[in-house]
Amino acid sequence: MSVELFLFYLAATVSLVSTILALTRYNATHALIYLIISLLASAIIFYLVGAPFAAVLEVVIYAGAIMVLFVFVVMILNLGARGDDLEHQWLKPGMWLFPGLLCLILFLEMIYVLSGSSQNLAGTVVTPKEVGIKLYGPYVLAVEIASMLLLAGLIGAYHLGRRYLVDSRKES
Amino acid sequence: MSDQQLLAILPHILLTTVILIQMMVIAFARNLRTTVAISVIALILTGLAFIPVYSLIPIMVTPLIVLDGYAIYYSGLILMSSTAVTLMAYDYFKDRGEKQDEFFMLLLFATLGALILVCSSHFASMILGLELLGVSIYTMISYPHKGLLTLEAALKYLILSGVSSTFILFGAALIYAVGGKLGFAELASVALETRDSGEIFLTAGSALIFAGIMFKLSVTPFHMWTPDVYEGAPAPVTAFVATVSKGAIFAITLRLFTSSNLIEVPSILTGLSVVAILSMLVGNLLALRQDNVKRILAYSSIAHLGYLMVAFIAAGMIGGKVLAIEASSYFLFAYFITTLGAFGVVTIVSLPNTEADAGDISNYEGLFWRRPMLAIMFTLTLLSLAGIPLTVGFIGKFYIFTAGVTTTLWLLLSVVIIGSGIGIFYYLRIIFAMTKRTETDVTKIEIPIAGGWVMASVTAAILFFGIYPTPIVNLINNLVLSIT
Repeated sequence: MSVELFLFYLAATVSLVSTILALTRYNATHALIYLIISLLASAIIFYLVGAPFAAVLEVVIYAGAIMVLFVFVVMILNLGARGDDLEHQWLKPGMWLFPGLLCLILFLEMIYVLSGSSQNLAGTVVTPKEVGIKLYGPYVLAVEIASMLLLAGLIGAYHLGRRYLVDSRKES
Repeated sequence: MSDQQLLAILPHILLTTVILIQMMVIAFARNLRTTVAISVIALILTGLAFIPVYSLIPIMVTPLIVLDGYAIYYSGLILMSSTAVTLMAYDYFKDRGEKQDEFFMLLLFATLGALILVCSSHFASMILGLELLGVSIYTMISYPHKGLLTLEAALKYLILSGVSSTFILFGAALIYAVGGKLGFAELASVALETRDSGEIFLTAGSALIFAGIMFKLSVTPFHMWTPDVYEGAPAPVTAFVATVSKGAIFAITLRLFTSSNLIEVPSILTGLSVVAILSMLVGNLLALRQDNVKRILAYSSIAHLGYLMVAFIAAGMIGGKVLAIEASSYFLFAYFITTLGAFGVVTIVSLPNTEADAGDISNYEGLFWRRPMLAIMFTLTLLSLAGIPLTVGFIGKFYIFTAGVTTTLWLLLSVVIIGSGIGIFYYLRIIFAMTKRTETDVTKIEIPIAGGWVMASVTAAILFFGIYPTPIVNLINNLVLSIT
């Protein structure tokens, strides 16, 4: 087995383990931490198969933006002194050991890959420029359809969210 | 993109533009009548925009979209059905509080998704179309705040639709792994070349795609969500899910598997036969014990999709492709107008009670004495669902039968017969309930203008095309068979 293949399987294992842990945690915050690790692991896999742009997007958009938003929402929902206690309870030092270990594996892998001593599995590298040319060339309609999809989702979220607020005000 | 290609997607551009205009109108001047008027005009204009497209077909617009006769035929069906649902939904929502306008926007979004779905020739546009359709339907199901049933329906649909989309994505990825192609037409050569070496991936990928699609089409054993979603969703939305959503997904499945030759993988055909037999039997048998009209219609739709699967399997047999596509196109036409009729009646009967839809069969007792016209229309649609001669449903079933006989699918055909026999029982049960004289005080049912027109035209179509199906058959011959 070549080094690259070993790195791929290692990242895939991290991804699987963290996803399973994310699904089985009772605590939403802990689950989210594992979910972030799972996304980081997929980013490493993307990098290994020669798609650095997808890897960056995975980190910036999923792990960076969306998941941080999730974590904030979960934490903001528990306001007050009780929330502080809970947060104190959640953030026990021991809690960080295993996610930290998984992250460390990914970090070492990343350093090894970036040091340039290895090749990627696919043999070719898809640069951001190529992705851009594809997206605004043959796939331009897909971009348009995706924008409509987002608008539909936005309107749906707006409608459902609005109703929830109105109802809870009535009850109180 | 050239001018011609832009002209070819004129219907889609038009619909998108109108959605945006409608959004602005809703944002600045909220008025339900205006919103509905914009929706109906948009749907009609989109339909008309297919006329200039007809002179261009077949035409590829980027690798993602193909406009051919097949796409135009199914787009027509979808637009017809969406217009009917819009009118039904206007009656349904107009007396149920404020802020109902967004529903009609979402309806247009879902229609756009379905239109993209039927003319997509690439996995990317197929999945985006599926998602556009699905995301709009989640909100449409839970649109009115009616408590747990609606919420349950929306949540079940959300989760199962999401899971099935993932299945389709994974299947597409496996197929991509074999040949590095995502376009349907390019897949045909891949399927031929790698028939021996890459067969496991191809078979596994096709099986995963089928599993995802079966969920969306709700055939046994992937049918569990259907009765709950049908019961919980507002009646017009149920009509939409039953017709536009399932019809568009069936159309794209047929296109995907006939143009890419993936259907000729033998193990897939065996699996499909099992699915078809199970859904015809399970759908019809479970409907027997139901007391809720919406649930009966849900099980009946499972059975109908089973009949449709017979045509699908015939398309994979030698020499059955042309007839099978013709049969399923006619069957879907019949299924569309009949289902619209059935849920149109459910919508109208549900109007007086804004708390819950008229699901229970007791709501229909004595309908013949209270509202004879409505009862006659419902009887006709039920007879059409049962496949009684002189209705459009009979011609549809007859077509399926012909396709089955030509490709000698005797086992499947015998199950079609058994299923239809069982079906007559529960359709007649609703009809008998309607003839029962009731002494109890019942709420008065008013037939609204928009819904009344929909029902009148649907009933007329059921009878007319049941007696004289030639116009539709000619249309199918001119348009649909161009893909074979």
